Amino acid sequence: MKKRYILTAIASAFALAIAGCGAITPDKDLEVNEEYEKADDLITVGFSQLGAESDWRSANTESMLGALSEANGYSLTYKNGQQKQANQITAIRTFIQQEVDYIVLAPATEDGWDTVLAEAREANIPVILVDRRVNTSDKNLYSCWVGSDFELEGQKMAAWIKAYTERQNIAPEDLHIVNIQGNIGSTAQIGRTRGLANAARDNGWDLCAEISGDFTETKGREVMGALLKRFDNINVVYCENDNMAIGAIDAIESAGGRVGPNIKRGEVMVVSFDGVNETALEYARQGKISCIAECNPLHGPRVSALIKALERGEAPSKFNYVDEKLFSSVPGIASVQVGDITYFVESDF
Amino acid sequence: MSKFKKITSNQLFIPLMALILLAVINLINDPGFFKVTLGTNNAGYPVLSGYLITILDYGSELGILAIGMTLVTAASGGQDISVGATIAIAGSAMLRVLCGGNSRPETIQAPIIVAFLVACVVGMLCGAFNGALVALFKIQPMIATLILFTAGRSIAAWINNNELPIVPDPKFSYFGGFIPGIPIPTTVFIVAICIVIIALVLKFTNLGLYTQAVGINESSSRLNGINPTLIKFISFVILGLCVAVAALIKVSRLSTINYSVIAKDIEMDAILAVALGGNALSGGKFNMWSSILGAYVIQFLTTTLYKFNVQSDALAAYKAVVVILLVVFSAPTVRDYMGQLMKKMSLARKEAA
Amino acid sequence: MEDKKKSSIFNKMNDTSLLLTITIVIFVLMYLGAILLQGGGFTKPQMFFNILNANAALIITATGMSIVMISGGIDISVGGVVALVSMSCAVYLDHKGGSIFGSVLLALAIGVAFGLVQGFLVAYLDIQPFIVSLAGMFFARGMTTIVNTAPFNVADPEFMALKDTRINVPFLGSVNKKGIYVPAYVEIGVIVALIIMVVLFIVLRWTKLGRSFYAVGGNKQSALMMGINVKRTKFLSHLICSTLAGIGGYVYFLHVGSGSASHAMGMEMNAIASSIIGGTMLTGGVGNIIGTLFGVLSLSTIQNIVASAGLDEAWWTGITIAAMLCIFLLIQSVVMAQKNKVLKS
Repeated sequence: MKKRYILTAIASAFALAIAGCGAITPDKDLEVNEEYEKADDLITVGFSQLGAESDWRSANTESMLGALSEANGYSLTYKNGQQKQANQITAIRTFIQQEVDYIVLAPATEDGWDTVLAEAREANIPVILVDRRVNTSDKNLYSCWVGSDFELEGQKMAAWIKAYTERQNIAPEDLHIVNIQGNIGSTAQIGRTRGLANAARDNGWDLCAEISGDFTETKGREVMGALLKRFDNINVVYCENDNMAIGAIDAIESAGGRVGPNIKRGEVMVVSFDGVNETALEYARQGKISCIAECNPLHGPRVSALIKALERGEAPSKFNYVDEKLFSSVPGIASVQVGDITYFVESDF
Repeated sequence: MSKFKKITSNQLFIPLMALILLAVINLINDPGFFKVTLGTNNAGYPVLSGYLITILDYGSELGILAIGMTLVTAASGGQDISVGATIAIAGSAMLRVLCGGNSRPETIQAPIIVAFLVACVVGMLCGAFNGALVALFKIQPMIATLILFTAGRSIAAWINNNELPIVPDPKFSYFGGFIPGIPIPTTVFIVAICIVIIALVLKFTNLGLYTQAVGINESSSRLNGINPTLIKFISFVILGLCVAVAALIKVSRLSTINYSVIAKDIEMDAILAVALGGNALSGGKFNMWSSILGAYVIQFLTTTLYKFNVQSDALAAYKAVVVILLVVFSAPTVRDYMGQLMKKMSLARKEAA
Repeated sequence: MEDKKKSSIFNKMNDTSLLLTITIVIFVLMYLGAILLQGGGFTKPQMFFNILNANAALIITATGMSIVMISGGIDISVGGVVALVSMSCAVYLDHKGGSIFGSVLLALAIGVAFGLVQGFLVAYLDIQPFIVSLAGMFFARGMTTIVNTAPFNVADPEFMALKDTRINVPFLGSVNKKGIYVPAYVEIGVIVALIIMVVLFIVLRWTKLGRSFYAVGGNKQSALMMGINVKRTKFLSHLICSTLAGIGGYVYFLHVGSGSASHAMGMEMNAIASSIIGGTMLTGGVGNIIGTLFGVLSLSTIQNIVASAGLDEAWWTGITIAAMLCIFLLIQSVVMAQKNKVLKS
């Protein structure tokens, strides 16, 4: 029985020793800091990615790891949140303890970030948001945001459709478009749908239907199959991502239709978004997908540039959009105009 | 009275009663439930369709798993809860061989039979791992299999680098679908083959006898020259083989895999099948056929629940209630109590008469 | 000769202290490893408190798990109960306009209900605890999606205030980059976890009930002969475990502030692994609450190490925990075999 007490005592002593390890001895802390001095010219960054759920996300992570490499003057700690906000919050708290210079956050949800972002601000660590935005009571809780302008993507695509069909002398009222949407309510879906819907109204296109395909190939195939039964005059399919486009093309072909840009000869023109999926890019080279509006996952260089600007003490703009291209192997359209800006179409990709 | 008792004490009684009960419920709800029609599928081949065909088709994996699970239960007095996760592992290995690490190959990189054999080896290795922990290290089966239950889906994702390869060869989808020209689902034939094999094994080897002996009393079986360690180990390896066959069907249905969802909650169904078959979950005597029948009853239950618009995520809650009711009514304490109650009632009736 | 020496050490130590020592040594090594790998952050006390904050719920559920395991049972429904509690409380607070007090009661009620049913089935109907709690787990998970399918964050201001309440730990703060002293803090959940641990530590060590848990888990026959009510003890162990799962569920809910069907996935596994790593024997009769605490800490530290070693993909977490569990199970199995051999000879 006595031995048990002794062991318990030892155990609690251990626990105390560990709990107090760095704290009770500030000298030790200093030592560690000195060790860090050597690497002090490196900018330390903590990156909390929301997960690794899609090709796009993996490309996004790769880009970050590449841009914030040691060779470029960074020391990056990367944490995968595995789609859980709680994990991401824990990761940010760890970064705060490690006193990183910057925190990069690709949030899993829009809500519930106030507390932890306030902690980061108290610790004087600027937070850069990537991809999705957050709903905070105070916009100053993060220094800036980098991501895609989904509505602009939609506008560019609509402008391409307009330019192409006008060149082919197809009357606007003869365009029968269906929109296979992404997950209803996602930022990408809202922007891309709005881009098309506005253009259809302005140009007088016939927008037959808008149905969600959940961003997946199987759902895209299913939805397209149903649409083909409902309408017999569809000649443009607007898919809000590549995976659904692949499914839709499969559905059109197995229903005996042909996909391609030649609407006048009875082909169904498919356009889509993202440009990360290899199969979709191959389809675009073959002309099965007539045009892809890129959703650029390569946020790394932009984030690096922002950090450099913050280091110099500049105040970068709050919302930063990455450059995104149009991919099309259909000849004839070299550029499209949205607002005052001209966007060139890449035919070699 | 004795005839009645004879019928009720038969092991097939419980699953058959459950089957009849479910059939009646469905008959009342929708008489069209039992309609089987001969139609054509997308490719223009004749196929049978209807709820009964669905049950036969989708109950296949469960039926196959029930074979192995019955043996494991009988020999070790515990259950393997890692079957769902090991289906993911075996399926993932199969895809890896078929697609050669490329997620969108033009053609399959290896013959289907090779991929299947690899899956069998992988499944048996998983079974051997569980079996070793249980038989050699004497860890309770459910705890031992908890290890693969947790890690299995992760390992499966890791095998294919978390990619979701798609098998390009349409022939591969025959196993979980239809062979062109044959209107009966292929899975039915696969189950039939498995049943024939296990029937032959049970008839011509001592496996069944030894398994029961080990399950009833380990030390006395050792005294009779049976090696309980080996028997337990073998039962897990056989279950691993069953898992590989189930994985073939599962993966073939979609031509791809989803690590976190494939065969989700199937361990529960497999255990339920064994329990519904009237086999004691604490091991010992078993009846293979009543377990397999139990598996199809479970599938009948699942289909019925779907018919009543129960969401797939919520299914588990209903099945859990069924499990609890089953184990409660088969618990010795409850049985004794019920027996006493019956006696009292018949006594009271006599007195009244 | 060497063998004899070894066995004499084994003999001198009782099971509990031997396994506990292994655990503590391993934890210390791991934490040192983490300091080496992750650098500065891990030397700060707040880092340690962050581990506590993130794992308060796990500590509570693992403590309950240890008690069930000590008395020879097991309960794999705890993760499901945690998920059900957080979803129910989230719905109650946000959709039904409930009060904080009500939500705490709701959490307790769910835990107690599971405990009563599972305990009754295991103790009085003599059904295997694994089957009972497996059904309990599926039931809880299923019910969670029936309560509400979509995950959502709670917006109730009172709850948010409680969620963000911090208890400062004196003397252990640190000075941040701005040169401001930041006090170290823990969340309410940690305090709850500590209180529960202390109470149960006392119960296990110095009360008749505590000793009867060990006796029932160790040897049912002799426990009966000692005049212990075996059924009642088993029933109570399950009741305590599920109630703690309910409390742990509320602490979890307080930490994440949201309800989701995927919450606490695999938590039962973490709780079992923590108990086993902490020196609780699967076969019952041996175990210790302090060990369980160290089990939880070791588990989260190794996850940190795995993540910082660049193996952050989701699957590594599962594989690591399973591997740890496997190793400790084997250690237990070998240690026990060794002891039995020694005892026999």
